[in-house]
Amino acid sequence: MKLPDSLGFLCSGSERDRRNQLRVALWSLVWAFSFLAITLVIKKNWLPYGVTIVGVFGTSILGIVTILAHRRFLRETDELQRKIEVEALALAFGVGLVGGLTYWLLAVRGGVPAKDFIYVFAAMIITHPIGVLMGRRKYS
Amino acid sequence: MKNRLKVLRAERDWTQADLAQRLDVSRQTVNAIEKGKYDPSLPLAFRISRVFEMPIEQVFDPEEGE
Repeated sequence: MKLPDSLGFLCSGSERDRRNQLRVALWSLVWAFSFLAITLVIKKNWLPYGVTIVGVFGTSILGIVTILAHRRFLRETDELQRKIEVEALALAFGVGLVGGLTYWLLAVRGGVPAKDFIYVFAAMIITHPIGVLMGRRKYS
Repeated sequence: MKNRLKVLRAERDWTQADLAQRLDVSRQTVNAIEKGKYDPSLPLAFRISRVFEMPIEQVFDPEEGE
């Protein structure tokens, strides 16, 4: 199936890359929605404990599927796209590590609430596509 | 590392997309190599020389670094 050009802003590279990138984006969305839904269910205590645990593991499985889709993209894409992706992942990892440890120090000191640590992961998630865009700009 | 990709491609009247398709890489990769922003791996460099049917040293010039 050929992807429409209107999706060009989402993906780049060959048709195979576009298809794989779209697959990663869709699985990421499904996982993110599942994560948000199960978070809400846990916070509001809407479902029995057993069902919630099943939901948590279900969300994890969706996360693993997303990782596998990303791995497939990295394996099948060409070497420059792979380099851009790896540089973006390194940037996101660095932001997560430095940001996470800084946040942890502040939480130990009592400056920020430890329960808001989730924002560090949010920063990593946001940093990755920014890194990809920076890479595309760097090599174009 | 300098290369003659753009000249060789123009001699054959190929677009960047044409060459990208022959090499099974993205157009952005061809563009980055032509502009000297990205040095290809050895396997890709050999693929390029094969596509242009000439020795690798006639496509790439390792003496003229960045």
